[in-house]
Formats: sequence, structure tokens, C-alpha cells
Amino acid sequence: MQNSDLVRKESTFGIVNHWALAISCIVLTISGFGFLFHLEGIGNAFGGFPAMKGIHNWAGVVFTASLVLSMFNWLKEALTFDSDDLGWILTAGGYLSHKAKVPPMHKLNTGQKFFYLTLLVSGFAIIATGFVIWLMPENKPALVWSHFIHNVSFIIISAFLPIHIYLSTLGNPGTIPIMITGKIPYGWAKKKHSKWIKELEEGRSH
Amino acid sequence: MARASLLISPELCIGCRACQIACKSWNQLPGDKTANRGTFENPADLTPDLYNKIRFIEVPSEANPVRWLFVSQRCMHCDDAGCMKICPAPGALYKTKEGAVAFNKDKCIGCKLCAAACPFNVPRYDKNDKVSKCNLCADRIANNMAPACAKTCPTGAISYGDRDAIITKSQKAGYSKLYGQADLGGLGALYAFHDAPKLYGLDEKPVIPEMVVFWHQYLKPLSWIGIGGTAALMLLHYVAIGPKKDKEGNDDAK
Amino acid sequence: MTNHWVDLKNADVVLVMGANPASNHPISMRWIMKARENGGKLVVVDPRFTQTAAKADLYAPIRSGTDIAFLGGMIKYIIDHNLYFREYVINYTNAPFLVNPDFKTPSQLDGVFSGYDEKTHKYDKKSWSYQMDEKGVAKKDLTLKDPNCVFQLLRKQYARYTIDKVSSITGTTKEKLQGVYAAIGSTGKPNRVATVCYAMGWTQHTVGVQNIRAFSMIQLLLGNMGMAGGGINALRGESNVQGSTDYGLLFDILPGYNPAPIASVIDLKTYIEKFTPKTKETRSVNWWSNRSKYITSYLKAIYGDNATKENEFGYSWLPKLDEGMNASWLNLFNEMFKGKFEGFFAWGQNPACSGANANKVRNALSKLKWMVNVNLYDNETGSFWKGPGMNTKEIQTEVFMLPCASSVEKEGSISNSGRLAQWRRKAIEPIGKSIPDAEIMNELYFKVKKLYQKEGGKFPAPIVNLSWNYGPKDDKGRIEHIDIHKVAMEINGYYLADIYDKKVDPPKLIGKKGELCTNFVSLQDDGTTSCGCWLYSGSYTQKDGKIINMMERRGKDDPTGLGLYSGWAWAWPVNRRIIYNRASVDQQGNPWDPQRAVIKWNPTKINPATDKPGVWEGDVPDGPAPPLADEKGGKLPFIMRADGVGAIFGPGMADGPFPEHYEPLECPLQENPMSKKHRINPTVKLFFGKEGDLAEDVFYSCDTRYPFVCTTYRVTEHWQTGVMTRHVPWLLEAQPQMFVEISNELAKEKGFKNGEKVTVSSARGSLWAIAIVTDRFKPFKVMDTTIHQVGIPWHFGWQFPPDGSGGESANLLTPTIGDPNTMIPESKAFMVNIEKARG
Repeated sequence: MQNSDLVRKESTFGIVNHWALAISCIVLTISGFGFLFHLEGIGNAFGGFPAMKGIHNWAGVVFTASLVLSMFNWLKEALTFDSDDLGWILTAGGYLSHKAKVPPMHKLNTGQKFFYLTLLVSGFAIIATGFVIWLMPENKPALVWSHFIHNVSFIIISAFLPIHIYLSTLGNPGTIPIMITGKIPYGWAKKKHSKWIKELEEGRSH
Repeated sequence: MARASLLISPELCIGCRACQIACKSWNQLPGDKTANRGTFENPADLTPDLYNKIRFIEVPSEANPVRWLFVSQRCMHCDDAGCMKICPAPGALYKTKEGAVAFNKDKCIGCKLCAAACPFNVPRYDKNDKVSKCNLCADRIANNMAPACAKTCPTGAISYGDRDAIITKSQKAGYSKLYGQADLGGLGALYAFHDAPKLYGLDEKPVIPEMVVFWHQYLKPLSWIGIGGTAALMLLHYVAIGPKKDKEGNDDAK
Repeated sequence: MTNHWVDLKNADVVLVMGANPASNHPISMRWIMKARENGGKLVVVDPRFTQTAAKADLYAPIRSGTDIAFLGGMIKYIIDHNLYFREYVINYTNAPFLVNPDFKTPSQLDGVFSGYDEKTHKYDKKSWSYQMDEKGVAKKDLTLKDPNCVFQLLRKQYARYTIDKVSSITGTTKEKLQGVYAAIGSTGKPNRVATVCYAMGWTQHTVGVQNIRAFSMIQLLLGNMGMAGGGINALRGESNVQGSTDYGLLFDILPGYNPAPIASVIDLKTYIEKFTPKTKETRSVNWWSNRSKYITSYLKAIYGDNATKENEFGYSWLPKLDEGMNASWLNLFNEMFKGKFEGFFAWGQNPACSGANANKVRNALSKLKWMVNVNLYDNETGSFWKGPGMNTKEIQTEVFMLPCASSVEKEGSISNSGRLAQWRRKAIEPIGKSIPDAEIMNELYFKVKKLYQKEGGKFPAPIVNLSWNYGPKDDKGRIEHIDIHKVAMEINGYYLADIYDKKVDPPKLIGKKGELCTNFVSLQDDGTTSCGCWLYSGSYTQKDGKIINMMERRGKDDPTGLGLYSGWAWAWPVNRRIIYNRASVDQQGNPWDPQRAVIKWNPTKINPATDKPGVWEGDVPDGPAPPLADEKGGKLPFIMRADGVGAIFGPGMADGPFPEHYEPLECPLQENPMSKKHRINPTVKLFFGKEGDLAEDVFYSCDTRYPFVCTTYRVTEHWQTGVMTRHVPWLLEAQPQMFVEISNELAKEKGFKNGEKVTVSSARGSLWAIAIVTDRFKPFKVMDTTIHQVGIPWHFGWQFPPDGSGGESANLLTPTIGDPNTMIPESKAFMVNIEKARG
């Protein structure tokens, strides 16, 4: 294969799912901040706070569905670790020095795996508690706990968002096409995810 | 303007329930179908159509067959209001200039978190899930009139006025400390009695659930730091270190 | 009330007995609480620990129907401990009067006074008279030692009412009795005063009037009559019931409490002769001696120009009672049951729920040919024919519903228990087709008048000759709409000619022709004045040509600090706020209690009316006469009594000059603890037990089928039979259903749980009720047996709520029996059984 030839990294299902996840997450984050800090500007943009709650609730449903479906896409990969992952951590993924040599990575690098797992855990926490707040408001202890966990999860998820968006755009030029066409140049893929390319060529992976 | 509050004196209350009815009249709330559960007390609990309820409490007595206590249950108009702390919708619960915690159903999003955060289990929700509770007759007090309950009470068991003046007057009348004088930033509904609060069904030390306080006071600011911090960090990285260059990659890419 | 509502705040001791102001007159509790704030003590005596008792300094339970035993013991205590106000008692009451030595008390005659006729159940009162001196005035022993003087007879009468005996009758502990007696007894000092608040708990008994008499006597003994914070104060319930009796709604009175004439009183001359009390006591004002002026002015008011000297001002047109006829409620419905009435106006009432023995009342209604139900709502009376147990197909009664306006939808005055007439304006227009009662009466009047004029009839004159000057008349003489102010002005009265005070020289003009009367002092008996109700003369008056509705005034000044508020509205008589206030001063006119002076004689200040020194300050005095000590003009304080003094001995009562304890008609005891021979009041009219009596009027006593004493009472949330309040969702929400309050002990015995449905039944009917199991009722220890007492409200009826969830009327259970003086039914003590509800 030529370096400029395109390799499929993400299926159509994966792309759609990722966009659903991303858009619902952003809607939830923005409306979440609106609720948390009483931001009238955000509320008005959503057509008022009562309307924003409706949108927040249903965006949450989309978020839930796409998060669950994403497990079929990424979970297996995200739970597979080897010694190279340790190396990735020790080299800070190569982000702190251009001279650092990053060990070879699978389809998802260590950072991506950790990010996905964090998102999954705090995501499910925020989802479960979100549904309790929405559907079980009569149970006061459940509400108090859920309110707390929902918000703590929000801190975590929202803290990771700038990192994720930066690293998949400005921080790593060439990443964006994965989310649009699903295809990346072979040469670029060999550099970033050499172990995956190897498995692909050996027919052991897809 | 100085903070105003209610003074509720169960020792003067005769259980006539004029206040319970006057509240419904002023706020034009519908009457619910109820049944006698073996007591004069009705309805059984605060409801979205019942902002103020008189509780009838029989406790043992030495001199008489019983002591029969009458005490008004309603929103306490806390200065440090748990409901307002937890409320996600600006203006759904708000403080009037007199210090009352009032509500606006149009702004309420119907999440019902306020009842969970209230130390006194006060907020209730109408058929549209909108918050309903005593609002200290916000429209009346804004026009220098006493709330309907205070206006109607024949014995002065509920009275309304300047909070400091109420405290001073009560101290002179022999109540060294009022219930709610300091709690929760000072309650807007002060209670004067000589017995322990427990007798009247009130918590000795009412508090907002700790998790709500902890979140609101310590963790909430972290959410800005969280997202803002990482955003700033990314900006710093971009400027200081810069994006990954094309030739960077793993070692065995040949 | 002798006093008034606000005056309660002036008392050192407030006795609440036979009443529950916290529940039923919440505004009055405001003043009772103020009394407590001022250091006063609240004493409550009630079978049940009520909302009022919850605020009491001292609460004493009492078995329903034993108030005279309780109060008799109090009289004994006051006498034994010398707590009575001696100077007051000697000079202002008939305590020193010497009674006919033939007079005997129940202690001597096993339960009756002298003169009792076993067959007629009535007293020949010949022996209840005084020994007279040569001047025709009662002989007196001012040392109170003579065995025939009222005071010693009083002592003899109540010697049997020892604390032990009273305790065994009432079920009250001796400690509680002593506590109450000491508290009330402490007010015998000149500077201490007690007031009493009573209501149906005292009146609705076969000894109702004597209950009240007992405490009136105590107030006289203690010198509390006429004092601020004292007196006898009925908490009359209906906001305008005072007005209703003032204006003669009862069968035996004309407006102003003038007696209704009876057939044998054939003309005005006889009426005046018979009903004008006379006295030889020169120091007595004897105000009823003015009777002729009031009856004549009344006739002139209603018959106007048709009333002339020649036709005795239309006296022959007044309806007359048959000889011995008692047309009170119980008798009325008895006659109705027997089919004696064709038609019936249920005007602002609900007899199907408010009448004793309601089943009988409902059946009585079915005998009518027609009924007119004038009310805000349809009710159990208007719809009696489709009520439970009614055979609708058999009932021939035609019912007309006339919707009327409520009190906020019309203008007019309301007279409260404190004799205060307050004018009210219309707040909103009547809804739908409802119109004020006065308009309904106006339409009816002109229709009936027209029929009489067209068709003639047995006796048209009484109707046709009415002046009916209640509004502008059209060319046919009809009034389209009543001007209620015209009614109020007719009540006040007019000068029909120039009136002169002929006692002065030259005669002074005191009334100009055509003007409104100043007050009843200027009324005449020669037809030159008119006055619809002498008591209210002065309520809508004219001064310097300007017409003033005194009842509309809202002055808030209180110069005495006693809460008289003499500038707020208008009280009868002549805006006097505390009546018998001449008894609040000594014979020199100095207040017994200078700190709470109602009136005070100022001997040097010039009296503007006479231009001479000497005038009363404070409240309107009970007559402008100088203090008693004044040789020439001094007058005794009790101006409405012929002999001018308060009655400790009261021969005017049907059942005795002193109250005596009798058991209620239905009671748990085989025998009256006070008398082996007479268990119940010996002068009551029994409706059951003789041949021809109705089975409906059955009663039982000491019957194991009905072992519990039941009383009836009210709640704050509902009003009377609940016709108005059951229709208010807020009120029904707060108090939705018929309930029965039961002691924990009784509930345990019968296995009742709090909140469960039970059936309460009496000899006459039954109903379901929700059981409220509470310690506020406790069993009574009476004559070595345990007696359970229960209580029920009477506000519910089958007609509304339509699903019947409210319950039925307590009067389904009450007996047909009344007080011998007033015929008020004994709703406060009868026997019931309670079982778990079936189904």
C-alpha cells in the first residue's frame, strides 16, 4: 500500500454513533452549565429553562443509547492493555516533548483507552443518576445522592472534553477525517497505530 | 430594606385554621377531597394546593388528660435556603426584597430537587410538576400588607413584621431564644415557644442535606476549574509545545 | 350579653362553661387571650378537653347535664368561705328580701319547691312571694340573718351541694372543683372581676335557663354584674341571632321584647295594664313601666296613618296567641307531624337537620301541602322528599325554592351578641337570580295584599293596613325595590308631631315633627311617635337636621382603655356598652374598681342636659339619675326589674326561684342523686309516655341498649347544619366528615380503632361517623359507676356532598324535649350506643 492510500479506521456505524455521542454530550454539557450556574443566556438560547430541561432529558437519552452502542465498537479494544501502554504513559504519549519516542499502539492508543473508560464510567454514573432525577423525584435520599454523583461526574466529563477535542483536532492534525470519512492515510496510520496496521495486514484485525 | 419575617407562636394558636383557609382564599387554590383520618388535622400533609397547615398534636400532660398543641407547618423562608441552592432554574425560586423565598411557576423546570434539599420537607408539586409552597404572599408584602395568614389570625399566633423588631419583642416577652433565630442563616418564619422543638415536630437542628451543601460550597466551583483548567492547559500546550508533527510516530514504522 | 366581646379582655378570671370560643368564636378568643396577656386566668369547664381548654390555666371536666350541681357547689363554697361582696349583695340584690314563710325548697320537699302540682306539672307560685311592708315594698333584713331572707334560703337550698356530693354527680375530681371554686370565688373583691362565656352547652338542656340563672346568681353574689370584665355573656352564635330576637322573630315576643298578645288580652288597654310592671319602690326606675309608649309607637310604625286613637292604633290587627299556646319549635313540628299545617316557609333554615329528632321533622314535612325553601342552596329540607327513608311517591308536598342573597350581597345591619349593631355595605351583586330576603318579602307582601284586596278573605286588615314605607312607591302604591335604610329608619322611629318635655317650665321642644327620634326616652304613648323597635331607637337618628346612621360609625377612640369603643357602630340601648353599670359604683357613685371604672359620678361638673352640677362620666350610664345615695333622685341599678335589684331569688322562672339539679331526660342514672322522687325537671312537657303520644318521640333512660352519654357541638370549619359551609371546598377539605369523639378507654372496650367508621344510634335514629379516639374525653366516675361520654358535631347532612361522604345530621339522634321556660331542645345530653359500622 502507498502511504497516501486510505485505510478505513471507523465504520459508518461508528461515525454516526460518535457524532451522536459528541453532539448529545455537547448539548448536555452546555445545558448542564446553564443549570449549574444559572446562565440565563444559555437558557434563553434553548428557549427557556423549562424547555432546556426537556432538551437535556432527551439529549440524555441519545447520549445513553450512543454510549451503550459505542461499547460494541470500542470496549473490547479499550480493555486490552500490554506493556506498550505503560511505555506510552511514561513518554506522556509524546505530548510533552517532540523528541519522545512513543511505543507502538493498537487501534486505540493508551490515552484514548483511558479516556474512553473514564467516559464510560462517569458517563454511566451521570446517566443513571440523570434518570433517577428525571424519573424518581419522590425518593428524596436517591435524589440527594444522584444530584451529587451527577454533578461530580459532570466535573470529570467536562474536564476531559477540552483535552479530547484538542487532541483530536489541533493537537493531532489528521485525526479529524476519522470522524468524517472514517478513513485515514495508510502512512499516517502506520505511524500512529502500527500494531493495528500490522494486524490488519496479517488479516487478524479489521 | 430590613428583612421581614413571620413570628409563629403556637402557645397563642387556638387551632381555628383561619390561616389555613385564608391562604387558600388569597392564592385561589382549589379544595381537595379528603377523608377524616381520626383527627381534625386535614389534609394529611402539605400539598400543591395547601401551603400552610395546622398540625394537631396531643401529648401527655400532668394537670390534664392531654396537652393539645396546634402548630403551623409551612415554608420557613430560610436565608440560606436549600431549595434555592439546589435549584437549576434561575428565578424559579427567588428571594423577595423582604427576604421571602417566593416561586415562579413559569421558570420552574419541574425537576423536584428543591424538596430533596429542603430541611423541612416543604415544596410540593402541582399537576404540571411545578413547585408550590408558601411564598409569604409575595404580592401582599410587596404592597406593605401582611401575609393573609398573619392578617387573619385572631389571636396573633401568626404575626408579620420587621425581623429584628420581632426578635427584640419576643425576648422582652420572655422567649430568650426563638426557633430559627440563627439556623440556616436565620429563618424567615420564627417560632416562639418554651418547650423543646421536638414537641412541636420540629428538628432541633435543621440542616440542608450535607451532600447538597458539600457540593454547592466546595465542589461546584471545581467544575469551572475543571473545564476551564483543561481548556487553558490545552491552549498552553498548543502554544508551548505545539501539535504533533507529521514525521512523529512510533519507532518501528518503516 | 350584659357586657360585650372586647370587654372580655378586662377580666381577672374568664370562666368558659357550656361554650368553646376557640373553636366556635375564634375572634372572641382574641380578647380572652388578651385577658391572659393582662394577667387574667382562663378557667374551662367542659365534658371534653376542647381547643379552648388547650389554652386554659385550669380545666375541669364535667358530665353533660350536671352544671347546676357544679354551680350549686360553687354557691355553697362562696357562702361558706365568705367570698361574696357583702355591700353589693345587700344593696343591689334581693338577698335581704324576706320571703313568704310558706316557701319551701327542694331540700324540704324531695326535689320540688312549694306549690308543685303533680297533675299539671306546673307550679302555683303563691308561696314564691315576699313579705310586704305597709308601703307595699318587700320587707328586708339588711343583716342577712333572718331565716326567711333570700340569702338564708339560698344557703339552705345549696347546703346539700357539698363538694363530695357534687363530685359524685358531675364526675369532676374534688381538687378540680375546689380549684375552679377558688378561682371564681376570688373575684368577690371589689377590685377583682370574673366574666363568663356560655353558649349552647348551658342553654340546650331541660334545665337550660336555670343553668344560666345559677351563674347570674353567682355574679350577683360576687358583685360582678355591671363591672368591666364581668357580667353574664352569652356567646350567641349566628351573627345576627341577637338581631333576630331583638326584632321579635320568636313566637312569644314582639320587636323589643314586648310580649306577644294572647287572645284574652282583648284590647290595648288590657295589654298595657297586664304587661306594665308596677312597683312601690320609689328608688326603682322600673323601665318597663314605659311599656305603653313602646307598644303604641310600634303600632304607629307598622300601621302608620291607619293606626288611630279610635281603633287603638290597630291593636286588634295584631295576631294573638291562643290561651296557653306555646308555638315554639318542638310544638310546631309536633303539630306539623299531625297534619295541622298546609304550608311552611323554611326561611334561611334547614329544619330537616337542625330540628331535634330530625327523622320526626322530616316526616312532618311530608305532611305539608306546600313548602317554600328560601336559602342560598338547596338542602335537606327543600329536598326532604327524596331523602333517605322517604317514600317519594307517597309525598304530596310541593316545594318552591327561592334563592336568596348572602349577607355580603346586600346592605344592612347585623346585631352581634354584644348588642352591637354594625352596618354593612354590599360587597358584590347577588349571583344568578338570587335576591335579598327583604326583596322576597316585599314581593310576597304586595302579592298577598293584592289578593286580599281583590278577593277579600277572613281578616285582610292586618296585612292590608300595613304602611310598608320601605321604598319609593309607584302610582299603584307598589314598591319596586326595598330601600333598607327606610326599614332602619322606621325601626328608629319618627316624631309624628312636635314633642315637648312638659316636666320643665316653659316646655322644651325635644322632637320636631317629621324628624327621626333621638332615642326611646322621647317616645310617647298617644300616637305622636312611631318606632319599629324601641331598643334600636337612636340607631338611625337625626341631629341638627343631619341624618346619621349611627351603626355605620367606625370610630376607634377608647378613652377609658376598657375597649368600650363608644364611637364604633351603635349598641342598644342608647349606645350603652355595659348594661347594669350603675352596679359598678358604690352608693356615692364611686367605682368599686377605680382601675377599671365603667362610669363615675362627677359631682361638680355641670350636666349639659340639666345645667346643674353632677354628671356621669364614662360609658352611657344606666339612666342619668344621680347615685343611689342621693336622697331625692338616687336610683337602684337594675333598672329593667320592677324592684330595681338583681334577682338572686327568681320567682319568674317556670321551674323554681332557685336552680336545682335534675338529671337530663335521657340519662345514665336511675335516680337523681339530689332527689329520690324527681329524676328530671318536674315542669318539662313530655312528648312521650301518655296515650296519643307519637312513637317517634320515644326516649329511654338507664337503658343498657344506649349506655353512653352523648353531647353535640360544633367545629370551626362548619356552620350550623352546614348548608353554606359544606359547599365551600376549602372548608370541606379541612373538615370533611361526620365524626364521633370517643375516649381511649371506651375505644379499647369496644375494639374501635382511630379513624374507623362506627355507627352511633339512639332511640330515635342512627348514623355513621368516623371514630376519633382521644384522651380529650375521659370516662366519668359518677355515683360509683363509670360513665362514658362521647360527642358529635351536627354540621352534616345527606344532601351534600352528593355522594353522601359527609355523613348525616346529629339531630337524627336527639330527643324531643325542651326547657320549660324557653322550649330549647336538650341537644347536649342524651343516650346513645356505638357499634362498628356494618358494611
